[in-house]
Amino acid sequence: MDMDMARDALVQESRELLSAMEAALLQIEDSGADSEAINAIFRAAHTIKGSAGLFAFNRIVSFTHIVESVLDRVRNGVLPIDNAMLSLLLNCGDYIAQLVDAIAARLEEVEPDPVRRAELEAQLNQLLDEQDTAPTHSAPAAAAVTHTAQEPTVSEDPVASPYWHLSLRFSADVLRMGLDPLSFLQYLGNVGTLLNLQTLPEGLPPLAQLDPEQAYIGFELDLQSEQDRAAIDGVFDFIRDDASILILPPHASMREYRALLAARNDPQMLAALLAQGTLTADEAARALLPEQETVEAVSVVAPVAAIEPAMKLPANAPRGDEKKGGYEQKFIKIEVSKLDQLIDLVGELVIAGAGASLIANRRKDSQFEEAVQSIAELVEHIRDAALNLRMVPIGEVFQRFPRVVRDISHELGKEIDLVVTGADTELDKSMVERLSDPLMHIVRNAMDHGIEATDARLAAGKPLAGTLRLNAYHESGSIVIEVSDDGRGLNKARILAKAIERGLVSAEQVLSEREVFRLIFEAGFSTAEQVTNLSGRGVGMDVVKKNIESLRGEVEIVSTEGAGTTVRIRLPLTLAIIDGFQVMVNESVFVIPLDLVIECIDLAGLDGHHDIVKLRGEPLPFIRLRELFELPALEHGRESLVVVQFGQQRAGLVVDRLLGEFQAVIKPLGELFSRIKSISGSTILGDGRVALILDVANLVHQAVQQQATTQNGKAATGLVSPQKSNG
Amino acid sequence: MTSPAPVTRTGTAAAAADAVQYLTFALDGELFAVPIEHIREIIEFGGLTAVPLTPTFLRGVINLRGAVVPVVDLAARFGRSGTTIGKRTCIVILEVETTGRTLPVGVLVDTVNEVLSTDRSQIEPRPPFGARLRADFICGMFSQGERFVIVLDIQQVLSVEEMADLIGLALEEHAA
Repeated sequence: MDMDMARDALVQESRELLSAMEAALLQIEDSGADSEAINAIFRAAHTIKGSAGLFAFNRIVSFTHIVESVLDRVRNGVLPIDNAMLSLLLNCGDYIAQLVDAIAARLEEVEPDPVRRAELEAQLNQLLDEQDTAPTHSAPAAAAVTHTAQEPTVSEDPVASPYWHLSLRFSADVLRMGLDPLSFLQYLGNVGTLLNLQTLPEGLPPLAQLDPEQAYIGFELDLQSEQDRAAIDGVFDFIRDDASILILPPHASMREYRALLAARNDPQMLAALLAQGTLTADEAARALLPEQETVEAVSVVAPVAAIEPAMKLPANAPRGDEKKGGYEQKFIKIEVSKLDQLIDLVGELVIAGAGASLIANRRKDSQFEEAVQSIAELVEHIRDAALNLRMVPIGEVFQRFPRVVRDISHELGKEIDLVVTGADTELDKSMVERLSDPLMHIVRNAMDHGIEATDARLAAGKPLAGTLRLNAYHESGSIVIEVSDDGRGLNKARILAKAIERGLVSAEQVLSEREVFRLIFEAGFSTAEQVTNLSGRGVGMDVVKKNIESLRGEVEIVSTEGAGTTVRIRLPLTLAIIDGFQVMVNESVFVIPLDLVIECIDLAGLDGHHDIVKLRGEPLPFIRLRELFELPALEHGRESLVVVQFGQQRAGLVVDRLLGEFQAVIKPLGELFSRIKSISGSTILGDGRVALILDVANLVHQAVQQQATTQNGKAATGLVSPQKSNG
Repeated sequence: MTSPAPVTRTGTAAAAADAVQYLTFALDGELFAVPIEHIREIIEFGGLTAVPLTPTFLRGVINLRGAVVPVVDLAARFGRSGTTIGKRTCIVILEVETTGRTLPVGVLVDTVNEVLSTDRSQIEPRPPFGARLRADFICGMFSQGERFVIVLDIQQVLSVEEMADLIGLALEEHAA
């Protein structure tokens, strides 16, 4: 792994941890403190600090360290976790995110916002100082292990060494838990000066059996420090559960050293202590003498013994801690590019498979056909499974909104409840990333303009707190995402007036409600009387529309004045492979997404005057693709009608032949074709030729427009095939 | 056939530091050249899928080992009548830079001739007029015997931005 990849991994991991931390903080705010959530916050801060330490990203390390110290006291119940604390921690999380962004931008040498940092550090340090001056010091439970032996200021029978001595053994699994012993040693530099260090390869197996993901080596080190035991001990707060840490003060007694040696029970250890000068030769010899005060030594050994069993396990023995193993095994991180490569290959496989079945059909060899058929089925499963790998719950996008809603509602002085439903609805990862910004715009808009101020709500007889809903669900091959508020709704007259004022529509034009609401998505349109911090600058909604359309999606608004607004986004589930329905128009093959196809009918039996057929009593407007695409007519006209449905709209597409279903690997047509709205992409057929995939919604829309233009702007009453002007 | 001094066939040319290699091809009886570093491969004509409602210079798209590649009719792009498909019609796949990425684009040519090596100093600037070609499409020219070979500015000729605009315009015309 080169440094850039490692750096990217760090950035990504930190961002994930920060969002986990934020989620935990909000959970605490919502439903009160719980130790699980507090621990999650801890783990996040701690792991970020540890990983950053590996890269020597000191800005992030030093900042996170202070945050961690505060968190430590929160965990131990020394500091209360109240609203002020939550806000401070949220802000600290934001600042860490800024530091992470700086790393991502290769600007780790630059402090993103020194003023902000100073503010936050001052607040954090104030909390720490308050706590330090408080008389009662409730030590963490785990820390108590090493605290039991309260060092006497002057010990009996002291050794000559004026330094702290630390004896560290780590559990074999410590690296797998994301804790790197080295980063702790690095931290020790913050509390003092590391003088001597000996490594004890006590449990080190022969090279052939060595597992590089296990920690084998113990450390004996001398530290020169003016700090007290708690400060030194504090360095190991997060690794304490997975390590045995023994700390001896300067001039500790011989008895303590004997206890240490006994606890470690390692023949090489005395030599190590001697070699690094912790003990003099004389002291070392005395340490070997039979113990006189054996009974008292137990006070040190006993607590250590509680930890030792874990340490004494063979290095490669599994740790019997199932709770920890549980969540680690659930996910495996894969680089997105590897996944994309797999999906490309699956795409090739699908195409090659289609080629094979074409040959099999021609050969008329039933055994061959059967074999190809079963391979095709497997390929289909593989395709689904591969695509599924890229599917992530939309909750990934939704999860940032509790925080956004909290902050913005505070800022606006409105009380807003967020209700999230359908967070487990899945969609393609690549879409998740590009959905975030548009959703943010919509949510901000809803809170700023949609939901009224508290007094206005009361006057309207609504509950004091506004409700913002985020909802997602699957519907006929699409994912639908809704952002609704119970606010004032859209004022049709005002929008229309504004649009006329801005010259977007002329005063004489008659527009349907939907068309009026659509105006909101026009560039430079904003009806907010007051430009606020959040929105109302007339940028946003047009960008939202563009973003959604670039994902082959659409966006619409439903609103009732006084009762609220819903913005509905409809997106395809994936951008990679679809089930397609092949049709032929003249000599060209086109593909219609199968999800949209309702049924196919022979047009010959129907009366198609005015390009409308009566289907089971209902009028169904249709489009002749041959005319729309200006393809020459065929001699023998036996046409079929493909009935498609998208959203609430139905239409018919007239084609020359129906070829049937197949899996279409979507190949984007690229920038060159970006203006062609009626074609969403292309795919490769079994015989190697390229077929174009129809974008049905846009195609119908285009047909409506053409017809509207040819009829000189007369109001469209229905969907009629374009009257071609042949020019 | 070939003139002696400046232009040499590859292989015989001692690769001088300033030598540039060009692929030459014929289009409507005229010779054109493109530096070979822009050329990815040359394939036989075939398997073309037309895209409806696009201008004539866009002949369609082909499947190039799983990638869908647009094919431009150079003659039509130069404002002449479209290329008639003949026995020796080829698709030359070129690499075009667009917004920081390289995009493969195929061009239709009547025949592919040869790869020539010529010294940079032998390239003459484009003439102020003549050549029946938009000036910005021409990088320069060099002589090969009695004939001039026009070196194309591939970035201009196959400007994705410009071609996308032209396609958009054509669509609007259809809609009107």
